[in-house]
Amino acid sequence: MSASVETRLDAPAAPGSRRLARMRHFDLVGLCVTLATLALAILWAFPLYWGVVTTFKPEDEVVQPGVQLWPKDFTFENYGHVLLQTKIGIWYLNSLITSVAVTIIVLIMAAGAGYAISQLEFPGRRFFWWMILASFMVPIPALIVTHFLVLNQLNLINTLAGVVGPQLIAPVTVIIYKQFFDSVPKDFREAAVIDGATDFQLLFRIYLPMNWGITTALAIITFIGAWNLFLWPFIAVSSEDKMNITVGITQVHDAFGVQYARDLAVAMLAALPVAVVYLIFQRRVTQAIMLSAGIKG
Amino acid sequence: MDRREALSRGLGTMLRSKRSEYVTAAVLMAPFVVIYGVLFAYPTIKMVQLSFTNAPLIGPGKWAGLDNFWRLASDRLFSVAIWNTIYFVILSVIPSTLLALVVALGVNRLKGWMQSVVLAAFFLPYILPVSVVFRIWGWMLDKDFGIAQDAIAPFNNGQHLSIFRTIPLFMPAVALVTIWWLLGFNVLLFIAGLRKISSEIYEAASLDGASRWAQFRRITWPLIWPVTVLVFTIQLILQLKIFDQVYLFAQGGRVDATMVMVQYIFKQAFQMNRGGLASAASLVLFLLIVVLSVLEFQLLRARGAR
Amino acid sequence: MSESTKNGNGAPHVELRRVTKRYGTVTAISDLSLTVEKGSFTALLGPSGCGKSTLLRMIAGLEEITAGQCFIDSVDVTDVPPAQRRIAMVFQSYALYPHMTVRQNIAFSLSVAGAPRKVQDERALEVARILQLEAYLDRRPAELSGGQRQRVAIGRALVRKPEVFLFDEPLSNLDAKLRVQMRLELAKLHADLRTTMIYVTHDQTEAMTLADRIVVLDKGTISQVGSPLELYNHPANKFVAAFIGSPSMNFLAADLAAAIDGVASVALQGGRTARARVRTGAKADGPVELGVRPEHLALVSPSDATAAFTGAVVIVERLGSATILYIDTPAGQLIVQGEGNLSAKPGETVGLALNETNVHLFGPSGAAL
Repeated sequence: MSASVETRLDAPAAPGSRRLARMRHFDLVGLCVTLATLALAILWAFPLYWGVVTTFKPEDEVVQPGVQLWPKDFTFENYGHVLLQTKIGIWYLNSLITSVAVTIIVLIMAAGAGYAISQLEFPGRRFFWWMILASFMVPIPALIVTHFLVLNQLNLINTLAGVVGPQLIAPVTVIIYKQFFDSVPKDFREAAVIDGATDFQLLFRIYLPMNWGITTALAIITFIGAWNLFLWPFIAVSSEDKMNITVGITQVHDAFGVQYARDLAVAMLAALPVAVVYLIFQRRVTQAIMLSAGIKG
Repeated sequence: MDRREALSRGLGTMLRSKRSEYVTAAVLMAPFVVIYGVLFAYPTIKMVQLSFTNAPLIGPGKWAGLDNFWRLASDRLFSVAIWNTIYFVILSVIPSTLLALVVALGVNRLKGWMQSVVLAAFFLPYILPVSVVFRIWGWMLDKDFGIAQDAIAPFNNGQHLSIFRTIPLFMPAVALVTIWWLLGFNVLLFIAGLRKISSEIYEAASLDGASRWAQFRRITWPLIWPVTVLVFTIQLILQLKIFDQVYLFAQGGRVDATMVMVQYIFKQAFQMNRGGLASAASLVLFLLIVVLSVLEFQLLRARGAR
Repeated sequence: MSESTKNGNGAPHVELRRVTKRYGTVTAISDLSLTVEKGSFTALLGPSGCGKSTLLRMIAGLEEITAGQCFIDSVDVTDVPPAQRRIAMVFQSYALYPHMTVRQNIAFSLSVAGAPRKVQDERALEVARILQLEAYLDRRPAELSGGQRQRVAIGRALVRKPEVFLFDEPLSNLDAKLRVQMRLELAKLHADLRTTMIYVTHDQTEAMTLADRIVVLDKGTISQVGSPLELYNHPANKFVAAFIGSPSMNFLAADLAAAIDGVASVALQGGRTARARVRTGAKADGPVELGVRPEHLALVSPSDATAAFTGAVVIVERLGSATILYIDTPAGQLIVQGEGNLSAKPGETVGLALNETNVHLFGPSGAAL
């Protein structure tokens, strides 16, 4: 809603002019809205803040009554314990391996299929396109039973490869690539064809490089999605050694009862990489979300 | 391929060597075909097939016709799961959509770094893995030491309340957590939609003497309606598949009372070893999602066209 | 219909033989034949939708030829992919790869073919020198002006040392002044290289100034082929007559009274008569149209005996180099182009004289008589 109009008005003769003139002097409603937004933002950020702050408190301070917005006794001991006494290192590694694998494979698959469907003529083209659109409708959680069966047949249960498998279904990524390739003006293709380029050269030297941004955005969001996945890794993996970090942190049980600060510390460590990736690549993440939402609409 | 299709695909009827094109296409499509075949097409067909058998999780089973579906129909737990899922969707999708619009309206007024910071405050939770969200809110609402208890106690005779063990409060609490978690996504979409509305329209309305509320009702709301429908649809489909938070928060409590559909599938498959039954439930979930989302989309679109 | 641009010196360089182009049920071009002489600059001229771009793209291999054949240097290339036809094309939008430098853009075809880096750089430099792009070799297209981008597009075509250069309305994205400048450069390029050039445009000025042969196209068929002056002085039909020349020719409805010894007299609306040169044996079975260019009408006093028309001046447009008058006569409205300092006032009654050699008659079907 524009506040600019109010300051631009000269003495108007239109009806409602008195109200507008009043608003020009002090945009009370606007100010309230802004303050309310800020207040809500603070409220929204609080749980995360509270969680983080708690991880820097020693456990006995955590369980004391009263609200301490900043630790009386700032400490790293929770993190220390978590890093040394849990399998967090292995979980990090597992998450890293599976997330990177998913990202790379999905991008290769999606760029290839997106290009083929967009630019090439071949029998079955339309069939595959429909299959991609159809895969939207089928919810992945509905496939957990048969995914488990298939991967069991392949002896991939409780392996990292098994965790990766079902995550490779990424219709949105294919669709985004296809739409992007569709939008490249055909002049470029024709010029390159006249110059003698093959389709592979077209894909790798023109279509993909012309907008690296898309690939980057998709890579980041695929990575974050793979890192954060819970349901499938939870089902596919039973030994702690093979867990990814999102699942692993729910398996931390202390023999001495609930250790709040430590549980939170391990959670914060789990969230740290994706949070950092987001903060660095904010624009790309935003772009990727808009793209994928555009698809679903 | 006729001219219209060729032109719409941006291709001329260009001279191509058909054979080399097929080979190229085959190479480029191969990863996709393999992955989709093994991990989508086959599992989907298998799911449908299994739902008509009495198979355990691993291993073959005998044909059972519609038995599984009758069992589902008569299984109280299944109806509870369906109801809980729908209940959860109502609790989370509608408030989440509306609140996101309100927040987007507020955030859109801000400028520069303040807008970036505020947006990040709303969006950062979306980036967190569900288990981290679980830990944060489990801690906030913890029965013994959670900070929220200080706000709750006055309403509860000065006593702490175990939110997630109080069955009527379970779903609303999980919905609240989910809204906190996912709002940023919706806000982002709304902001993109709001930005597309030219400010000139508002200026013209102001000059015509329209109040803020009138501007919202007559300009913003109708013009943002497609985005609202989009956000609502995405959230609807997403939340019908809910599992993670519900499972995590229900651990150690009366899991059955607050069960949701995917959880039901999970239980039947991986805890009760009933592969066929779980597949039948999966099929039902699939159909439910398709029907509900198509219905919802048509209804809302029709309303918007009015 | 077959038209030839041969000067009679040997086989044509490019030949389209009875080509037809169909898109599904729509026929864009039907049974068209065309030859292009080696080393010539041939323009394909016509309004939007006349098929000129389609023809060019068929020669390039970017469009399949539904029926008929295409020959380049007497070799049947109808089924040969574009990359192997020894042609190069400059697109209307230039199609410069935005993520590559000028050097990489120019050398792209070489790099695709696997030529060593050294060769690529050498050839790119060579071409850049010809087009005065040396200073820009490491820039990206986004940093260049319209004229520079166009030169890069030409450079990309040049580097392949093609046998035939194809241009698809390359100047339409430039502003007027730049267009004139680039026209000159293209003319110079052709004079230097003497490579066969086929140039598609809807702008008759471009065609007239650049081409030695113009092929005028109308709705997928050839209207006329000839040198610029041929088309100007002896248009074969009304379409060509109206398309060539600016301001365009005046057309007046008339009735053929008699045609004797190559001179016809026609009766104009409003009672006057005029005479025109026609072909021997020319006949008309219906009303005809008399065509005369604005520059071929001379202002005389209304009472002058040679005046073919009299009328009142409606509008005077002064360009400085010329004056354009819109005159209402009983025979119809006429546009007249005269000297820059012509004295004429709106409302004035004037007479217009014409020379029968500059008058054209077109029959009911549009063909010249």
